[in-house]
Amino acid sequence: MPRLASRPADVGQRFEVAALVAVAALLVLVPILRLVETAVDEGASQYGAVLTAPGLGEAVRTSLLLGVVVTAVAVPLGMVTALALRQPQLPGRGFWRVAVLLPVLVPEFVLGYSWQQAYGRAGFTDTLLGVPFPGVVGPVGVVVVLVVNAVPIAYLLTAVGLAARAEPDLERAARASGAGSLAVLRTVILPLLRPSLAAASVLVFVVTLASFAVPQVLGAPAGVDTVTTRIYADLSLGAHPNSFVEAVTLALLLVLLAVVVVAPADAVLGPRLRSVRVADSGGSPVAVGRRSGGGWVALGLGSYLLVAVGVPLLALAGASVTRAVGLPPAPDNWTGDHFSQLLDQRTFEAIGRSVGLAVVAASLLTVLGAAVAVLERRRAGRSLATLVTLTLVLPGSTLAVALLIAYGRWLSGLWLILLAYLAKLWAFAHRPISGALDRLPPGELHAARASGATAVTAARTVALRPLAPALVAAWLVCFVTALHEVTMSALLYGPGSETLAVVVLNSQELGRIGPTAALSVLLTGLMAAAAAPLWLAFRRLGAASSSDRELAGVR
Amino acid sequence: MRTQRIAPGAAVLGLLLLPVACGDDGGSSGGETITLYTCVSDTTVEPVIDAFEVSTGTQVDLFRAPTGELNARIAGDVRSGGLRADVVWGCDPLTLQGYVDQGLVGGWAPANAADVPERFRTDDYVGVAVLYLLAVHGDDVQPPQEWSDLTGPEYADGVALPDPAFAASALGAVGYFEGQSGYGLDFFADLEGNGAVQVASPDEVATGVAQGAYKAGITIANSAYALQGDGSPIGIVWPRPGAVAIYGPVALATDSEGSAPAEEFITYLVSEKGQRLIGEVGSYPTLPGVPGPTRPEDAPVVYPDWPAITAGQEDLLADYQQIFGG
Repeated sequence: MPRLASRPADVGQRFEVAALVAVAALLVLVPILRLVETAVDEGASQYGAVLTAPGLGEAVRTSLLLGVVVTAVAVPLGMVTALALRQPQLPGRGFWRVAVLLPVLVPEFVLGYSWQQAYGRAGFTDTLLGVPFPGVVGPVGVVVVLVVNAVPIAYLLTAVGLAARAEPDLERAARASGAGSLAVLRTVILPLLRPSLAAASVLVFVVTLASFAVPQVLGAPAGVDTVTTRIYADLSLGAHPNSFVEAVTLALLLVLLAVVVVAPADAVLGPRLRSVRVADSGGSPVAVGRRSGGGWVALGLGSYLLVAVGVPLLALAGASVTRAVGLPPAPDNWTGDHFSQLLDQRTFEAIGRSVGLAVVAASLLTVLGAAVAVLERRRAGRSLATLVTLTLVLPGSTLAVALLIAYGRWLSGLWLILLAYLAKLWAFAHRPISGALDRLPPGELHAARASGATAVTAARTVALRPLAPALVAAWLVCFVTALHEVTMSALLYGPGSETLAVVVLNSQELGRIGPTAALSVLLTGLMAAAAAPLWLAFRRLGAASSSDRELAGVR
Repeated sequence: MRTQRIAPGAAVLGLLLLPVACGDDGGSSGGETITLYTCVSDTTVEPVIDAFEVSTGTQVDLFRAPTGELNARIAGDVRSGGLRADVVWGCDPLTLQGYVDQGLVGGWAPANAADVPERFRTDDYVGVAVLYLLAVHGDDVQPPQEWSDLTGPEYADGVALPDPAFAASALGAVGYFEGQSGYGLDFFADLEGNGAVQVASPDEVATGVAQGAYKAGITIANSAYALQGDGSPIGIVWPRPGAVAIYGPVALATDSEGSAPAEEFITYLVSEKGQRLIGEVGSYPTLPGVPGPTRPEDAPVVYPDWPAITAGQEDLLADYQQIFGG
């Protein structure tokens, strides 16, 4: 009888949701509640003073405005990039698909700093060409660099969405009916991409709210104040208990801002953006775009990447080999000393620990992200998506403190750092997978189960192949982000468990641009080397799929 | 499929990492172990720790981070069972006084603390290194002879100074000028009116001046001389009435009172041997007569009134931020 037959499945589903909620509680709820407890117990008398402090209102407005503006610019840019890279006549398409991800490999603090070196007063362009861009230090510079930082995320989510949700037959039918490219985009492609675009928007908004390094480097000298820079200022003078409580209160304010934006978006838009694919169409791919447009697209991409990443990294590389600050980066002033200073056993050990941590964290995060993507579609698990986003918005220093307060009695060192990565980056793994998941045809899964396959076998043989690009993309983003995370691991490390963050912060604090630039170049190169095999795997997975030729981002 | 091999492979890698995760205390040599929390740079702290470990057999477990992260770590410790450090070596008296006020450190000073000038110590902590805030200028810029020169037309739109909301050394300087006749907070208002820019740290000031982004600025002597030694085109001035001295104190954790190795470590830092080593690795010692980095013979130095600054630091910062924002 159907009711009796469904009861074990119901119990199983409830258990799965309960287990995941328990993990989310440990990683997200408990640390946030401990912060709330701290703010309530120690700061109840200060709320009025904290929330009415001069400049806080403006800092909140600045943070929100940055979030909105960066999202409004970066998500369309990422989408346009993903669509442009579908064009088969684009020269060097494989190269561009890798190149557009370059900013992901550059840590946020390096990106802001390298833009200042490249375009600021007495920077690279000023020294070599006599052309400075003073606006790079100020609100415009902050927005531009945060957009550059966010476009690869939006591109990746859109590309994954295209890979999983492409409907070649629908596009072919529209073209055969006389629709032009714009009409196909508007009526076929964009509606299918809506979940991916929504996922990208949420992620970019929250990441921008939480950004600190770029507003501090490029915004603070021009008086741009955000909630995150105020939190860091409070912690810098945090030996005074009032300052620490103020920092915690502001961090919880950020969580509230994120909830106010993300929760309604997830609750209202989420179900409406999903659609059900009856079966995999499996048609042959569609050639899109005019034959003559590829050269202009390549030129546009090349120009954007040159300005956004190429020149700043060149400026950084120049600083890393220049003997002293203020000397022109000419061969006469070149030295390898900054790099040789880095090449000691301590740095290698730190790199090894960081890489290992990032691998483990990314692997666990991919599983956790997939679990939320699956279970959020059930009634009991609907709020999971919003829940795991809350810790992404918390500044790293505050999340680290929250985990220390919650678990510091029992855990330390690398275990705490791993927990911090899982808590912080869960949303990074969840959103790309979620954006691709709902296009799996449920009928095929049911057919596999009805034929006797276990849930794991059914998932592995039916769901894994179309989801593979999303899973690998999630793994890649989590790996790279964990590897160049600085604040949490610098705060939580224990004796003998120094990660790369400790080396980086010490170098920065010494104020020597040369070693800091050398470390940044090393870090970027290291991540490119580590990410390359993964990218090859990503490409092969895409090639094995039946709709591989139109998978944006995959050859 | 390759995909299904990735997750088990990663899990195996994770298992291989467990020894790294668990066994990171390096294995005690058999002697005692103390834990040091500090914001002092590695270039100073590491050689000092190495020398102490060799001479005493005591192992020193180090947690080193910038002041903001250090404060956050200690705040986390306090709310999860208590401070885990035996010794705290700070970069400014304001931070250490904050820990004293919370009952985390203090209540003990080594016997040789009396050798350190009174201006660098209290009953709860003793300074073992000093930072000096002074002026730097581009090679092609007229050197300022007095601090007030920076408000003049020759430095219009070209001065950088560190943000006291981020750098306690800068807050100490603000506190010093606030109490000085002829200066006060009007000095900073005049700087702001002259187009001065505020950046986060003294190091950013030094590198900005070296790169030519600013004409002059207020920074710490260590950064300035290091850049000049590398060949950066900057000049260094100890302007009148004096470079502002910010001492970095060390204190014993209250929970470690009676810990002989911890007390021995602090005593070592204050001793002539420890002070000479601190001077050799690039920090200015507090013990008179011990050589350190470059300091011109007649260089004027001034000393902030730290108790007054500590008592009024919130108002001081608020008043300052009316001028420069933040």
